Amino acid sequence: MKQKERFWRIALLFLPLAVFGVFVVWPLLDTFYYSFTNWNGFSRDYRFVGLDNFAGVVTDRLFTNATVNTLIWTALAIVLPTAGGLTLALMLDTQVPGAKAFKSVFYLPICLAAVVVGQIWIWIYQPDWGLLNAAITAVTGSPPAFAWLAEPESALYSVIVAWSWQQMGLAMVIFLAGLTSIPTYLLEAAEIEGASRGQRIRHVVLALLRPATVVAVALSVINSLKAFDILFIMTGGGPFHSSDTLAMYMYSESFKKYRIGYGSSISVILFLMTLSVITVYFRQLKKLDELYD
Amino acid sequence: MYHSFLFAARRACSTRGTRVPTAIRAGGVILALGLIASLAWASPAGEAAMDSQEVTITHYFGGDLGRAGLEEIFGTFHDQTGVTVVDSPIGHEDFKDGILVRAAGGNLPDVFSYWAGARTQFVVDGGNIAAIDDAWSANGLDAVIATSVADGATMYDGSRYLVPFGYHYAGMFYNAKVMAAAGVTEFPSDWDGFLALCENLKAQGIIPIALGTKNRWPGQFWFDYLLLRTAGPDYRAALMAGDASYTDPEVQRAMELWKELVDAGYFAPNANADEWTDASDKVARGDAAMTLMGTWITGYWNGQDLMAGDDYDFFEFPAIDAGVPNAVVGPVDGWLISANSPNRANAEALVSFLASDAEVQAKWAQIQGALSANVNVDVSTYTPVMQRALEAVGNADTFAFNYDLATTPPAAEFGLDMFSRFMDSPDDYMQHLADTEEGARGVFDSQ
Repeated sequence: MKQKERFWRIALLFLPLAVFGVFVVWPLLDTFYYSFTNWNGFSRDYRFVGLDNFAGVVTDRLFTNATVNTLIWTALAIVLPTAGGLTLALMLDTQVPGAKAFKSVFYLPICLAAVVVGQIWIWIYQPDWGLLNAAITAVTGSPPAFAWLAEPESALYSVIVAWSWQQMGLAMVIFLAGLTSIPTYLLEAAEIEGASRGQRIRHVVLALLRPATVVAVALSVINSLKAFDILFIMTGGGPFHSSDTLAMYMYSESFKKYRIGYGSSISVILFLMTLSVITVYFRQLKKLDELYD
Repeated sequence: MYHSFLFAARRACSTRGTRVPTAIRAGGVILALGLIASLAWASPAGEAAMDSQEVTITHYFGGDLGRAGLEEIFGTFHDQTGVTVVDSPIGHEDFKDGILVRAAGGNLPDVFSYWAGARTQFVVDGGNIAAIDDAWSANGLDAVIATSVADGATMYDGSRYLVPFGYHYAGMFYNAKVMAAAGVTEFPSDWDGFLALCENLKAQGIIPIALGTKNRWPGQFWFDYLLLRTAGPDYRAALMAGDASYTDPEVQRAMELWKELVDAGYFAPNANADEWTDASDKVARGDAAMTLMGTWITGYWNGQDLMAGDDYDFFEFPAIDAGVPNAVVGPVDGWLISANSPNRANAEALVSFLASDAEVQAKWAQIQGALSANVNVDVSTYTPVMQRALEAVGNADTFAFNYDLATTPPAAEFGLDMFSRFMDSPDDYMQHLADTEEGARGVFDSQ
């Protein structure tokens, strides 16, 4: 009986492993392979170029630009949704009227597809009739007609705002879950000891929210590193590469300039960056597990 | 073969007999089932299922480019042949990358729309496209396709690959009512006249020109015409082939003329925020007077119930330097058949039908605002505006593919970037030209 059960366990495990192998491991290995070639995507006539693609990356100023943008994107994609989510969670964890409704409203954007969020914000940023410029005009009295997504100085940051708006709900839910696990007697004890509301939040709430913060930050980092769709919809990496992240740049090199080999080398670098972040994340989780065990 | 796999599966499932590690037996079951499935897929029965009475097609003729009309045409083809057209259109901009992603994955549809010129040459070079010389002859396409289009657009490396569906002409399309209200009754044929028209409109508080370079390509018509009207078609062909440099004085002069227009405030602001439809809407609404665009704009405007002649019209891009041959610019839309098409006969029947049926061609020309490549189409079915566009093409010395169809796609990426970059910072045009030359040179040198 035990042997039969073991047989089925392993048999059933083969299916997801096969799917994982075909749809994740195989393409991943293919990407590594193509990163050492000069394949253009269609021609059967391509050759092995060794480390040339990786050497090209080092001197490619557009790659440097995409790397800097990725770092800016990742940094802000950690800070803005996490801080916003925490603020919302702290506000909604009190007995404010309609807190449940507000929670649903703030969580709603995370349920939307990135393309939908992107299109909504394209309309908001539209220079002639968009909501943002209309609001600025209503306040200042003069029409700004600023093209938020068409100016190289503002395009990346405009997309980050849209992204943060969507991701904030996820961070809020994680922090709300964290808040429910904080024993009320600790807060009451701190209050009896004379701690102000600010001190209670800083020294009790935020301290005990550390596990939730690690989860929220790690998810933000991973989500932001693989963010592609919202950038693709809102700017396509433009204008003229000003909002290119590594994922966008990899796409444009591979499928616009038909340099699959070179694009694959960018993919490999991005993969290694993401892998290192995930490694740090799991180590941190392990430490927390040990701490709370 | 089947029996041995079934036997292996049964052996793997059995818990009696020789003791085999559980993991190996479980893996054997999955492996055997997978092999049976793959054999069934690859069997003659599987092939028969693929060679059905259908043909798959992907194209970029979306909602604003005539999708509804194309579906009707596919319905007519089904009625005549019994072959079902499985249609999966993709948005125009997404198509450019999407179809190549499918080509890279060896997953092309039987038939797909494509632009004649360097783009088709690029996919032909990749070995993904079927030559159609036999089908071309068998269906008598020589007799129905205009020679001027057939020679330049369909032949690649000595064989025919592309079947033309229609072609377009880029001209200066304007809002007729805005022009009439501004007292403009004659339209310029030379550069000084064009500058005077822009100045006149601007003085009356009308933005002369709308341009939407968000997707970059609409800027190419300005570059194409300014270069063709000053340096001429031969120089431009050399530049497109990588035999001239973007930093040459000829290209600099074209950019300087463009810059003069931008500096004079003749273009609507924020060109990089608008798509071609946004710029067209500005002209249609009267927020700007004119836009340099292909004849597909007439299909777009007709769809908004604007009347050719009454609401909109066009004039040819003015001459600049005397003695330079008169070239017109535009794309040729056509159909390609995948080299691995499992429905090859149906695919050939479909593309031949789309090109050779005069009624289909006339209908498509009306819906999309295209000029038909079929010589049997009655010219009187065109609107007066399209009849004049046809005349303009007929009177030209040369029909040139627009920029992103004239130079190889990887090099075109750099030029397309330059057009939108230029609209953002025209003062830096020399730097933009140097960057474009560096990028394009890298592409040509690597070929």
